Amino acid sequence: MKLLTANRLTDGLVIWYASDNWPEGWVEDAALAKRLEDAEADAILEAWKPRETEIVGAYLIPLVDENTPVQREYVREHVRANGPSIGQTALDTAKAHNRPEVF
Amino acid sequence: MYVYDHYDHAIVKQRNAEFSDQVRRRLSGEITEDQFKPLRLMNGVYLQLHAYMLRVAVPYGVLSSRQVRKFAHIARTYDRGFGHFTTRQNIQFNWIKLAEVPAILDELAEVEMHAIQTSGNCIRNTTTDQFAGAAKDEIDDPRPWAELIRQWSTFHPEYAFLPRKFKIAITGATEDRAAVRVHDIGLQLTERGFDVYAGGGLGRTPAVAPLIKSGLPGEKLLSYLEACLRVYNRYGRRDNSYKARIKILVAALGAEEYARQVEAEWNALDQDAIDAPYAEIARIKSFFPAPAYKAEAFDQAAFDRAKAADSRFARWVRNNTLAHRNDDHISLTISLKPIGGVPGDASDAQMDVMADLADDYAYGELRVSHEQNIILPHVHRNDLYTIYQKLDAAGLGEANVAQITDMIACPGLDYCSLANARSIPLAQDISRRFEDAQLSDTIGELKIKISGCINACGHHHVGHIGILGVDKQGVEFYQILLGGRADEKAALGAITGKGLSAEDVPAAIERVVKLYLELRTDPSERFIDTLGRLGRDTFKEALHEPA
Amino acid sequence: MSQPNSASAPQLITAEGQVIANDWQLLADEDAIGADGAYVLTFKRALADLPTLNGRYGVRIEPGDDVRELIPYLDKIALVEVSFPGYRDGRGYSTARILKQNLGFTGPIRAVGDVLRDQAHYMLRCGFTELLLKDADPEGVIAWIKSLYQYSYQSAADAHKPVWALRHAKTEA
Ligand code: SF4
Repeated sequence: MKLLTANRLTDGLVIWYASDNWPEGWVEDAALAKRLEDAEADAILEAWKPRETEIVGAYLIPLVDENTPVQREYVREHVRANGPSIGQTALDTAKAHNRPEVF
Repeated sequence: MYVYDHYDHAIVKQRNAEFSDQVRRRLSGEITEDQFKPLRLMNGVYLQLHAYMLRVAVPYGVLSSRQVRKFAHIARTYDRGFGHFTTRQNIQFNWIKLAEVPAILDELAEVEMHAIQTSGNCIRNTTTDQFAGAAKDEIDDPRPWAELIRQWSTFHPEYAFLPRKFKIAITGATEDRAAVRVHDIGLQLTERGFDVYAGGGLGRTPAVAPLIKSGLPGEKLLSYLEACLRVYNRYGRRDNSYKARIKILVAALGAEEYARQVEAEWNALDQDAIDAPYAEIARIKSFFPAPAYKAEAFDQAAFDRAKAADSRFARWVRNNTLAHRNDDHISLTISLKPIGGVPGDASDAQMDVMADLADDYAYGELRVSHEQNIILPHVHRNDLYTIYQKLDAAGLGEANVAQITDMIACPGLDYCSLANARSIPLAQDISRRFEDAQLSDTIGELKIKISGCINACGHHHVGHIGILGVDKQGVEFYQILLGGRADEKAALGAITGKGLSAEDVPAAIERVVKLYLELRTDPSERFIDTLGRLGRDTFKEALHEPA
Repeated sequence: MSQPNSASAPQLITAEGQVIANDWQLLADEDAIGADGAYVLTFKRALADLPTLNGRYGVRIEPGDDVRELIPYLDKIALVEVSFPGYRDGRGYSTARILKQNLGFTGPIRAVGDVLRDQAHYMLRCGFTELLLKDADPEGVIAWIKSLYQYSYQSAADAHKPVWALRHAKTEA
């Protein structure tokens, strides 16, 4: 299982694939990202890669289970999904949904 | 400070026009990300973990109140209300929108600033002593020379694609506050001209630069640098980016052979075409006069009363000020290291406060130090208490300069896409652990420097205690280095003991510090001195939890 | 990594902005050298064969080659091609300046390889007289450079006077 993520071209913010619509199909809250089956994930990544006026640097994050990214990438992906861990700018979305953090 | 003339303005303007066009082409899809990336990097625009980051050069760390106010404005208008001062005497904005970069660059140009050559394999911003022009121990003011180098290196056509980035540092004082010997080229001003050191640096293969020339006349500085760079450009390694810095070349050739090749190249150059004439050096020097010092006698009695009445002020004076060459004046350091804060960060409101204080009490001048603090270089001593109170009200009154909580920390994994581990939360944890002012004063000078990866932006090799973040299968780990220093006795710390997890680092440092307090001969023996006297092994065990 | 318009077939343009034909031909090391054709020799071959050759030839210099080794044969060299296998390898800039400013070479100095509009300005400043430019509109590039970069801070191998010279010429006059 995988998540598809990228940075938005215009403001560079981290966004997550939820559906094929642009822009509303890419969300800033990782919790709303679509859990993709591996084969499907590759195809969606390939389809989005050329869409360079919308997104930059798209890549897949493998998930060990629904909620945990693989260990190798854990800290990095965790910080990327939640915002800086130092309380300056963390995504408030998660908190608004009463989750302590996104992942 | 230096003031642009129409040539300087035109040169920045032409670059901004060019980059605006490149941004436009990228946004409209005329050029791809692959094509755009090297172009945006040449203008200091990175795509970091969470957003675009813009790095703005603060030439040799010198700022006017107007420029700081502009930073505040940019932080407020285009970012999330703060900026981050770096160990390279630059400022970074962490949450920039690509489409707004041209507008930001135009705003910066209004106050004679730019982001040119803040990244890429070119000659970067020259750094210098944050107390230049004010310090008592200064032989000659390094700022005019740094400005001369800035102009020569800006868009230098031969050196835009060096093997790796190239950093020059310059000091004019006997105490080296610019860490010149851990730079690609370090320049020490002496009565006889420049002593030139080449091939120092941090990063993967840290090295202290050897002396390659002594007594170089200032009027020949540019042609000599040109020769240094030419030898490096031609023979520096390009097959492995980790071995591409000049320190590797100098080590491979030997300092003497490198110096010989530079000398030969220097003699072959048309020096007169390269070296600016004395009239130009004099013109640049004329921008750096001593301020028109306020002629007001220092009121010692009032000063003593204020210190007696407010012990926090007394401590702040003790720790955050440095003797000035004008006895009624003093240089003061505004610590950007509040207990538990983010090292080097300042909010828009804080930047405005600092700019106002500079206007009201410091002849409009500020500096940023490589230790990520802000300096008011010339302040009348009668104004100190007022300044302190205003700083304190703005959360800028921390009295910890050069102490254990005055840490250097790079952005690390909270922002930086190259990072292995976080730096900032670790700095915050350590800071909280040594929050106690009395304890901190008892410990005295102790410099902790933290990098989130081997690139060493946090200068961990030259920290008395250095901390390096590494990645162990997705988990953050930290190696501890002991015994580094960046002063005139520059030395590199060595990894001591086994790596530690983030939770274990603060306690380990506490044990090391406790041991130091037990072992020092007297309070004047600093941590680095005790460590030098007894050796690293003495402290190694303390790093780890007793079994 | 590619750059704007780098997909275009390269065209040869002079520093003055004129597109010209390329009548020089790079010889592979095993090809025989004809009597007096417009041949470009590799650096190694130039060093080996120029001592015994009589005509005038072109020489291709790669980034690792030391241009000063050509000093004894400069009068037999009609053209130098400086190769940029990737635009990030900046050794060719030094090569061009040494050729022009130290060795006094007066023939054409041509940049070939990964030669892109975003580096063209630097190349012209270092003394290149011709660029084999990967760009759809090479004339536009040269015109744009000339209009954009009026001033330079430092002297190099072109006609630009450093800004300090302009500053002080004015006050002296
Ligand atoms: S040291 Fe590494 S982690 Fe820290 S800012 Fe530099 S590159 Fe990023």
